[in-house]
Amino acid sequence: MGRPGLNRRQLLAGLGGISVASSFGFAALGTGADALASDADTRVRYWNLFSGGDGYNMIAMLNSFRKDHPDIAVKDSTLQWGSPFYTKLAMAAAGNRAPDLGVMHMGRVTGFSPGRLLDAWDVDLLAKYGVRKQDFNPQLWNRGVIDGKLYAVPLDSHVQLCFYRKDVLKKAGLLGDDGRMVPVTSTDEWFDVLREAKKATKRGLQTIGIWNSDQNFQWWFFVAFYTQLGGTWFNDADTEVTFDTDKATQVLEFLRRHITEGYALPRFGGPASAEQFVNGSPFVWEGNWSVPVYDTAKIDYGATPLPPVFGKPATHAESHAFVLPHQSDRGGPANEGAHQLAAYIIRHAQQWALGGHIPAYRPVLSTDAYKKMSPQNEYVSAMDHQATEPKVWFAGSTGILAQRVGPVVVSSTMGSAKPDTAARRMKSELTRLLASKNPMDGETAAQGGAVA
Amino acid sequence: MTTSAQTVFAPARAKTAAGTATVRRKQGFQHGGWFVAPFLTLFALFVIWPLLRGAYLSFTNANISGEGTSFVGLDNYREALKDPLMWDTLGHSAYFTLLVVPCITVLAFFLAMLAHHIERGKWLWRLCFFAPFLLPSTVAANLWQWLFNPGTGMINHVFGLETPWLSDKSYAMLAVVICTLWWTVGFSFLLYLAALQGIPDHLYEAAKLDGANAWHRMVHITLPMLRNITGLVVALQILASLQVFDQAVVMMDFTPGPEESTRTIVQYALEEGFTSYRVGYASAISIIFFVIIASVAVARMWLLRKREEGVR
Repeated sequence: MGRPGLNRRQLLAGLGGISVASSFGFAALGTGADALASDADTRVRYWNLFSGGDGYNMIAMLNSFRKDHPDIAVKDSTLQWGSPFYTKLAMAAAGNRAPDLGVMHMGRVTGFSPGRLLDAWDVDLLAKYGVRKQDFNPQLWNRGVIDGKLYAVPLDSHVQLCFYRKDVLKKAGLLGDDGRMVPVTSTDEWFDVLREAKKATKRGLQTIGIWNSDQNFQWWFFVAFYTQLGGTWFNDADTEVTFDTDKATQVLEFLRRHITEGYALPRFGGPASAEQFVNGSPFVWEGNWSVPVYDTAKIDYGATPLPPVFGKPATHAESHAFVLPHQSDRGGPANEGAHQLAAYIIRHAQQWALGGHIPAYRPVLSTDAYKKMSPQNEYVSAMDHQATEPKVWFAGSTGILAQRVGPVVVSSTMGSAKPDTAARRMKSELTRLLASKNPMDGETAAQGGAVA
Repeated sequence: MTTSAQTVFAPARAKTAAGTATVRRKQGFQHGGWFVAPFLTLFALFVIWPLLRGAYLSFTNANISGEGTSFVGLDNYREALKDPLMWDTLGHSAYFTLLVVPCITVLAFFLAMLAHHIERGKWLWRLCFFAPFLLPSTVAANLWQWLFNPGTGMINHVFGLETPWLSDKSYAMLAVVICTLWWTVGFSFLLYLAALQGIPDHLYEAAKLDGANAWHRMVHITLPMLRNITGLVVALQILASLQVFDQAVVMMDFTPGPEESTRTIVQYALEEGFTSYRVGYASAISIIFFVIIASVAVARMWLLRKREEGVR
């Protein structure tokens, strides 16, 4: 058989091949077309995970940056929150296609292979654009420091809150003269409050939404109350588990009691917690990102940090932070633009506070405009008593720790496991995780432990 | 009445087996080769290569960055076989399959009979039964997540229930099964409908002349004639159901469900690979799962061949 001549079919096949190949080519060019379309000298590619009200506020802040800096074109992309976001960010950094600027939860930074998937910030460059360490809560700033280098700059603290309906609480006699919920300092007081509130609650509604079947929320609440009891996770060298199963049992029993005494109903264990609150449920424990939701629903409500039922105030806090995903050739105008953009958003976080978050940049907190924001001004103190996950590679928002331990907390709250059994299971999970190796560098938490 | 599908189509098969087949096959290869080349290229690029790559990675400690990878032999497999989470998640996938396959087969057959025999508005019935299959899994899952909402959802409202469908471990998988039945029954329904239309009318006419009633016609003609298609529907459903992932993940808001009750093996592999960044270990789990799926497919082919041999 000789070489076949070019007939009609082969010509068609060839053309088809060229079109397929060229479409791959264009795909590889990626956002090149955007760069050509813009007049700006510098282009900053920025990935974030903000949707809903946060997304709206972030876009508003980006637009005002664009207006103030016409020489910098910001190409922003919003990706799905949670694990999918971190997967994409890691793969982009590993494949050297990383954006110039990214957003992460502070708790995930330690496990995100600083130095390999993340580049360190140029502190002088940040200072040039007005962001300095002294303008932040030191504990918060230091969470982004690994081995002496700054890998994450905090934008906010976002905390778990106790939202309450003023209209219902007023009827129940639980509203103080200042129009805020009566203070609570023990578990007994707390359940007294719930008992009174229940009497004033419409039929068909639960008294409190505690997201009892949601592994993330239940884990966050656990972290808060366990910290109130002064509980610890590991020793300083991350070589030993110091998790206190007695304290953990107390917390788990406390969470469970909401169900056994009928204040939180199992059937409203997920997003229905928030819906019930809008419909007239007196309480819901929920992240501060719900502020815009309840503002929009036009309900009469307030929000305090989670009640200090074990004495010491502490509420679960995470933090959105800016990071520089690893680029092998990081530097030049795009890198400077990334510093400039991050600093601008951090300094203009007044808009961000509308989403309920507590701005990390302290000068914003002292403005009159912020002080007038309600209910933000009611829970701003949460910044000073943050309960956070331990600083280990497997911790952080939607990370491995939450995925392994969160369901155990749920099993206790929902009643399919006894609190003390669940506490022991939590301890064994923590022991297993502490001994396991970080897949990024093959070291355990003890060997590669982060330096705070 | 002993006629079966095999004997009806036997003459056609005999003709193809004639002497011209060798020549035709040779020509077919020359010309057909060009036609299948694009498919084969994509198949090799997106199926064969990732499979080989995954098999290789399963013997390493690879992480998501691809750096610092070294060979660890069978360590990942040893760990997987001792990993209670892997067995749990495999159990969840199997449980889902066990619930879905019989239900979907019976339902698809029933709907196909209905659409086949109904005279008025035939197209509407067909559209109704098949349309959900055209939806992307995320749309179907979101829709059912909303319907199952305990407070505002339609299911509890209509049936006067207070069932926490998506937040109680005893109902969560059931909710995923119900969504899946509605969403995917259209495909099997279509297969059954096509098979029903392929049954020659004269068989029914002859049976009627012999005095067979509707029940007899169903048991002695329809069901035997549909035997092969039932085998196909069951096999395809087993393979598809074992791989359940997207609808469960979306309905549970990207979590493993209440008390981890809807985490399937595919989701576990994904979590290990992309949340824990243990690409090597995730590959080992995937390969184990691949072997299970491939065994089911091979067993099905083997059974089918035995049955065909039995017929001959």
